[in-house]
Amino acid sequence: MSGRRSGSAVSSISDDQITHLVFKLQQLIPELCARRSHKASSSKVLQETCDYIRNLHKEIEDLSDRLSQLLASIDTDNDQAAIVRSLLM
Amino acid sequence: MASFTPNLEPAPDTSLQFKPKKPRITLQTPSSCPSNQRTQIIKRWRTQRDQHIYSSKLFQALRRSRRTSASREVHETADRVLAGLAKGTTRWSRAILNARKVTKHKKAKLPTNNRLRKPDIYRERRKTPAVERKLKVLGRLVPGCRKLSFSNLIEETSDYIAALEMQVRAMTAITEFLCGGTGGGPLPPADRLPSNVNS
Repeated sequence: MSGRRSGSAVSSISDDQITHLVFKLQQLIPELCARRSHKASSSKVLQETCDYIRNLHKEIEDLSDRLSQLLASIDTDNDQAAIVRSLLM
Repeated sequence: MASFTPNLEPAPDTSLQFKPKKPRITLQTPSSCPSNQRTQIIKRWRTQRDQHIYSSKLFQALRRSRRTSASREVHETADRVLAGLAKGTTRWSRAILNARKVTKHKKAKLPTNNRLRKPDIYRERRKTPAVERKLKVLGRLVPGCRKLSFSNLIEETSDYIAALEMQVRAMTAITEFLCGGTGGGPLPPADRLPSNVNS
């Protein structure tokens, strides 16, 4: 695959394939999908992809932060509920 | 927290990628690939069913684990469940699952890679240096994909992006579910109890 081609000067992937794959990637990115200027340059598509993935990571980070707080408060609720139950019974 | 990508809402919208009510729609797939398998791959992370499966698995995992007070733990659990759903078919999922086993040894940058990089000059010369750089960055962002060929990297990236989007949708849904449940939660017991209950 992307390994030991020590002698050959030609990669096994053609230019057409490259542009086609980049176009396919472009369709996944919402920002590039909206203004479909037929084909954005490869560099732009890759840049947007990287930014998009980073933004998704950040969102997941924030969400997991929030989830951890919620879960901590739920556990607290459970403790309080257990105390209430033990007091009432 | 306003999401900057509005089409991550659970409700179906105008984006042609997200059609959660109909599991297996045929997209315009590249004609060179076996179309049936391809549509299944493309629709993989986008169905409502997949999202429900992931949500319930994640919720169970979070409830089981007692150490969910750290957001790092939640994040890792979410990633682990996500990678588990992929069932080992993608490189990034295997990398996530293996990374947890190796426990942080993979973080060390291996300097020996530089020696193997020399054939780069002869390979894929048609791409400009800017594109090369961005490909490298992309390879670092997707777990386990640093040394992939171009086409494989794009494959992994597409799958990874779809999975991440589903992860965001599912975690948002779980958060809203928990928020609705605990929104009035802490107050009633405190009101009923005359004594002071420290939280």
